[in-house]
Amino acid sequence: MHISDGVLPISIAIGCGVASLAVAAWSAKQTASEDLPKVAVVTASFFVSSLIHVPLGPTSVHLLIPGLVGVLLGRSAFLSIIIGVLLQSLLFSFGGLTALGANALMMGVPALLCGLLFNRLRGTTHKQNLLIGALAGGGGTLLAASILALLLVSGGEDFVGVMKLALLSHLPVFVVEALVSGFTVSFLFRVKPELLEQRLGALSQG
Amino acid sequence: MVAAQTVQLPLYALFVAALLLAGGWWLTLRTLKSIACGTQVEQPERDWSVPVIDASAEGDSLFHRWDVRFKIVALLGFAFLVVATRSPWSALIAVLLSLTAVFVAKLPLRRSLQRLLAISGFLSMFLLIMPLTAVTRPGDTLLIFGHLDWLSFNLRGLQLALAIAGKACAVALLMEPLLATASLPRTVEGLTRLGVPEKVGQMILLAHRYIFVFIEESRRMMVGMQVRGFQRRGNVETLRVMGNFLGMLFVRSFERTQRVYDAMQARGYQGRFPAPFYFKMSAGDWLHASVWLLLGVALLLFDRLGGC
Repeated sequence: MHISDGVLPISIAIGCGVASLAVAAWSAKQTASEDLPKVAVVTASFFVSSLIHVPLGPTSVHLLIPGLVGVLLGRSAFLSIIIGVLLQSLLFSFGGLTALGANALMMGVPALLCGLLFNRLRGTTHKQNLLIGALAGGGGTLLAASILALLLVSGGEDFVGVMKLALLSHLPVFVVEALVSGFTVSFLFRVKPELLEQRLGALSQG
Repeated sequence: MVAAQTVQLPLYALFVAALLLAGGWWLTLRTLKSIACGTQVEQPERDWSVPVIDASAEGDSLFHRWDVRFKIVALLGFAFLVVATRSPWSALIAVLLSLTAVFVAKLPLRRSLQRLLAISGFLSMFLLIMPLTAVTRPGDTLLIFGHLDWLSFNLRGLQLALAIAGKACAVALLMEPLLATASLPRTVEGLTRLGVPEKVGQMILLAHRYIFVFIEESRRMMVGMQVRGFQRRGNVETLRVMGNFLGMLFVRSFERTQRVYDAMQARGYQGRFPAPFYFKMSAGDWLHASVWLLLGVALLLFDRLGGC
């Protein structure tokens, strides 16, 4: 799920760029320097997970995990996402150079919200974590797809057809994302619960 | 209600067009792929699924000698000016300009073609869908095949899609001259000098380094899973295993990274790598940068005033 160069009107592209830079600056400020390794790990995993394909009927989809990034990083999630998107653009040209801001907002805003949601709900049992993880995973992807749709339609009514197709093709992805994220969160809860602490944001807050 | 010009075409024209389109698309992809992969050197040790950003950093060309800071600002500005154009003709000119940049920088064509291949799926979708779904406006030309009234092919939509594809290709072609002509640490240092926080620059370098480590790690884990009889199927069990796989990847990579970071700190790491980069700007840097920006502005003026 990426927007390439040339799709968005120039004003939207620049606007998204400025907005994402502002949010990234805030997110970087919230990140303590001793947490940089964790942010780097999640960023690289975000990148690698986009190379992992999950079979789905006749085709396969690759993972997006904006929700999971939010769950793991809290407020630092946006910083992680924008660097991940930048690296994807630099290495593969997935998502364009000029659409970088739009792509970062598309994945980063859901990540921030999912992190917030996860922090609020914070399950104490295995089942609860599975459910909340699934909610964050599915909800994050749903939100990202909605932002994608909104951005596409900003190009004018000609883009409505493309937008519908993009939304439709993401329907199965929501389910895959929700289940995989749920299982991942419950796994981490059992194996290494301190990874789910999100202490990054909490530290600089207190 | 809309006074659009319609052109009635016989039904068989649709089949011919579809056949030509599919054939042309297939042929383009084949050619791109064969050029992109054909000359690849076989090296089992290295993972080719993730390319090296700065493979040609050692070369010597106008782009290699260009101050990184000027390069980033000028090419980024040029990219935004390209994206601001509207007609497919200006997009075509932009593609030619970017191709010129690739040749002037003496870069292998293979990497640039791989980049085009990466965006080809997304762009094919646009080229296919836009003509069929674009809204009919007065003055549009619609092609209608036979009696299939619901299947109208809007030429303005095609034009729009072609412009988008052209602009995307032009910017994708710029990426290699922008990134491959200096080592990544140098490029990042240039970004830092331009005002990006040092913390962010370090994160880019660390994350880039870890990507290759994690891909290796995930491959090892995948082999382990397959040895134990795991098969990817389209069911919930597969997703559960993938979820655990991802969780395990997080746990392992986090522990490894923590160890590495501790070791780095023990060796005196204080948030930056002590690599000395010297930047000096010369008149040539200014000249080169202004040439690109002026080209971009000229392109935009041609697009808005040229009338095509």
